[in-house]
Amino acid sequence: MAPFAAPQGLSQKRMGRYVFQRLLGMLAVMFVVVTIVFIIVRIAPGDPAAVMLGPDATAQDVASLRTRLGLDRPIIIQYGIFFGQLLQGDLGESIFLNRPVLTALAERAEPTFFLTLFSILIAGIIAIPVGIMSAYWRGSLFDQGATTLAMLAASIPSFWLGLILIQILAVRWGVFPVSGYGGPGASLLTRLSHLILPAISLGVVSSALILRFTRASMLDVLNDDYVRTARSKGMSEFRVIMKHAFKNALIPVLTVVGITAALLVSGAVVTETVFGLPGVGSLVVSAVLRRDYPVIQGALLIIAALYVLINFLIDMLYLLVDPRVRY
Amino acid sequence: MKLLAGALLSGVMALGAGSALAQQTGGIVNVATIGEPPTLDPMVSTADLVGIVTQHFFETLFTFDKDWNVTPLLAESLPEITDGGKVYTIKLRSGVTFHDGSAMTADDVVASLKRWMDLASRGKQTAGNIDKVEVVDPSTVRIVLKSPYAPLLALLAFNNSAAVIMPAGKMANPLTEPVGTGPYKLKERKPDQYIQLVRYDGYKPRSGDANGYGGARKPLLDEVRFVPVPDPNTRIEGAISGQFDYVDSLPVESYDRIKNLQTTKPVLLKPFGWPVFVMNTKQGVMANIDSRMAVRMALSMEDMLAAAFGSKEFYSLDGAMYPKGYVWHSEAGTEGKYNVADPDKAKALLKKANYDGKPVRILTSRQYEFHYKMAQVAAEYLKQAGFSVDMQVVDWATLTQRRADAALWDIYITHSPFLPEPALIGQLSESSPGWWSTPARKQAVDAFNTESDPKKRPALWAEVQKVMYVETPSIKIGDFNALSAQSPKLDGVVPAPWPYFWNVSVKK
Repeated sequence: MAPFAAPQGLSQKRMGRYVFQRLLGMLAVMFVVVTIVFIIVRIAPGDPAAVMLGPDATAQDVASLRTRLGLDRPIIIQYGIFFGQLLQGDLGESIFLNRPVLTALAERAEPTFFLTLFSILIAGIIAIPVGIMSAYWRGSLFDQGATTLAMLAASIPSFWLGLILIQILAVRWGVFPVSGYGGPGASLLTRLSHLILPAISLGVVSSALILRFTRASMLDVLNDDYVRTARSKGMSEFRVIMKHAFKNALIPVLTVVGITAALLVSGAVVTETVFGLPGVGSLVVSAVLRRDYPVIQGALLIIAALYVLINFLIDMLYLLVDPRVRY
Repeated sequence: MKLLAGALLSGVMALGAGSALAQQTGGIVNVATIGEPPTLDPMVSTADLVGIVTQHFFETLFTFDKDWNVTPLLAESLPEITDGGKVYTIKLRSGVTFHDGSAMTADDVVASLKRWMDLASRGKQTAGNIDKVEVVDPSTVRIVLKSPYAPLLALLAFNNSAAVIMPAGKMANPLTEPVGTGPYKLKERKPDQYIQLVRYDGYKPRSGDANGYGGARKPLLDEVRFVPVPDPNTRIEGAISGQFDYVDSLPVESYDRIKNLQTTKPVLLKPFGWPVFVMNTKQGVMANIDSRMAVRMALSMEDMLAAAFGSKEFYSLDGAMYPKGYVWHSEAGTEGKYNVADPDKAKALLKKANYDGKPVRILTSRQYEFHYKMAQVAAEYLKQAGFSVDMQVVDWATLTQRRADAALWDIYITHSPFLPEPALIGQLSESSPGWWSTPARKQAVDAFNTESDPKKRPALWAEVQKVMYVETPSIKIGDFNALSAQSPKLDGVVPAPWPYFWNVSVKK
C-alpha cells in the first residue's frame, strides 16, 4: 500500500488537492520563518567579526573583517544574496567553522536524532502505561500519585535534572560519562552511551505531557458504549483496555508524541549544552553566542522545516487512521 | 627581569623540573576548555582560548620564561640589536621543520611576520613602527624599525594575536590548513566535540631545561585533546568524575568541593589577573576627568571583590597595576586613590564636574559572572555618591560590539591576565575602546615604549601608572586568582595563565 493512499471515502483527486494545498502552506510558513529569522539575527546586537577577533581587536580590524564577510552591505542586499543561495539549496558557509552550513548540520544530526529517539522512547515507556493505569484506576492513590509526579516532572527544568543525574550516575557511581560524545574513533556504542543521561532527563520531563494526554484520552473512551459492549461480551479487562479502549485513545496520544518529538529537536538546546553534546541544539547555542548568522539561519530553517513536516505527517496519519476525519 | 615570582608558582615549577627526570612518554590527556575557539588562526584572534590551543602546534620566534623574560623559541638566541635600538637581527634555529616535513627558512619567517603585520591586531599596531622585514640569509632575518620600540620582542613572543611562524605557502586567510612547528600537530577538529593534537615526531626541543614557556618543550604525550565544555557546572563534575585530566577555568566556589579528592586536585594560579572598569574618555559623562575621579573616589574595591570572588583566598586588594613580585610593581600614584569609598569626596568632584544627573551607562555581561557582581556593588556605591546609574547587562558578543561605539556607554567592565609586557595592555592604546588620548598619556607611554634598557623601563612604567591614576582612563579593581583542576596522574603541569601540555606526562 502506498504511504498516502486515499483512505476510504476520500477520492484520490481530493486527497491530492489537499496535500498540494498543505505543501503550499508549508512553503509559505518556511518563507515567513526564513525572513523573520534573517531580520532578527541582523537587528540583534552583537557582531561575529568582534567575536572572532577577540577582546583586544581594534574597531578598524572589526570593520575590515565585516567588509570581508559582507556584513557591511545593506540588509536587503544580504537578504537577496541569502535567498538566492537558498533557492539553489545552499544555506551558506559558517563564519567560524570553515564549512558549509549543511555540512555542519549533517555532522550534528546523529546525536540530536538519537537523543530525540531515546527521549521519546523513555517518555513513552514511562507515560503510556502509567497514563492508562491512572485512567483505569481514576481517583485512586495510584492515580493521585501519578498525576502529582507528572506535574512535578513537568515543572522540573531538564537541565537541572541533567545536573542531578550527572552528580549521581556519573560522578558518584561512575556508570555514565559526564559529558561529550566520545573522543576520536569512538564506536557508535560508546557515543550512544553518552546519550543515556541526557535522554533520561529529557524523557522524564517530556513524559509528563504524554502521561496527562494518555490519561485524559483513556478517560474519554473508557465510558464509551463500545467499551461497555466489550465488557458485556465477557472479555478480560486487559483485552478491553488494550484492544478496544487504548487503540481508540491512541490518536491524540500520537499527536502529542509527534509534537513532543518536534519540540525535542529544537528544545534540546539547553540539555545538549549542559551535557556538552555536539548536536544541532548546541550548534544553535554556540552560533547565537558567536553571531554565526548563516548557521543560525540554516539551523532554524531546518528545525522549522522538521516541525512543519512532522505536523503535516501527523495530519496525514489522522486521515489514514480515523475514517471520521475529513478535509 | 623578575615578573612572576610567588612562592606557590616557584614551588610548583621546581617540583615540575624535578619530576621531569622520571617522566615517561605516552598517554592521552583530555583537557576541558570553556568552549570552542572561534578560530585556529592565532594571528587573527586575541581570544585567550585560541592562544591556549594553538600554542601547542604553532610557535613564535620568542616566548617567555618563568620570570616573564623574553627568551628564544624558534630563534637561535635573542636578537642582536643595533643602530640605537632600530635594527633587530634574528638568527633562526637550524633543523626546525614544519608539520608537513618542510624545513623552516628565513623566507617563511618573513612571510609570516608580514602576514602578522597585515592581519593581527597587535601586528597592525606594531607595523606602524616597522620600516622593513627582510631576509638576510636562509637562517637570518632582520627587522628594521623607524624608531626604537621596546615592546617589539614581547609582541613577537606573545601567544595572543601571535606572530606565529607558518610555511610561506600555507598561510591562506582564512587559514585552511594549520601547519606549524610546535611539539604537537593538529590531527582532527570536530567543532564543539574535540580538537585532537598528536605528538609531532619530528619535533626537536631546545636544549637545556624547561623554563616557563621557554626552554626545552618535550612532547611526552601521545595526544592532547581539547574538549569544549561550556557549562561550568559540567566542567566541575567532569573534573570530579575523572573524565577530564585537566579542567580549565573553574568557578572559585568549587574549590572546597575539589580540594580533598582522589580524582582531581585544584590548580591555583595566584595571582592571575585584574578586573578593570574602562571609562569612555571620548564622549558622555566620563569624558570629564572629575567625573572619572568621582567614580574612583566612590568605589569600595573591597566590597566589589568580596561580592565577585567570595573568599580572600581568591582575591587581594591591590591598586598597583602589577602585583608584588613583578618587576613592574610600583605604588606610584595610588596613594589615597584606591579603595577610597568616600561618597563625600565623590560628591564634591561631581559638583566640580557640573554633573547634570545624566545616567552613567555601565556595560557589563553575565558571561563573566564576577563582572556582573562587581557592577551591582559599584552601582550602589555610585548611587550613594550622587550618580544616576543605568546598568546595561548584555551578552559578551553584544558588549564587544557596543563598546566600539562611544555613543553607547560610559563604563564597561572587562578583565585581563597580568600581561608580560605593560605595553600590551589594551587601554594604553588610543584606538582601544575608552579612547584615552591626552598629552600626558602620550608623553609617558612614548617614553616607556622607546626605552630599550630593561633597567630603566620599570621607572618609566611607574610614570605611566601615575598618569593613569591622575587621569583615570580605567580603574583597576584588584587582583584575582584563577582556579583549574588536574588529575593527580598528570605530572609536570605548571600553573600558567595559558595552560600548556608539553613537558606533561601521565604517571603509569
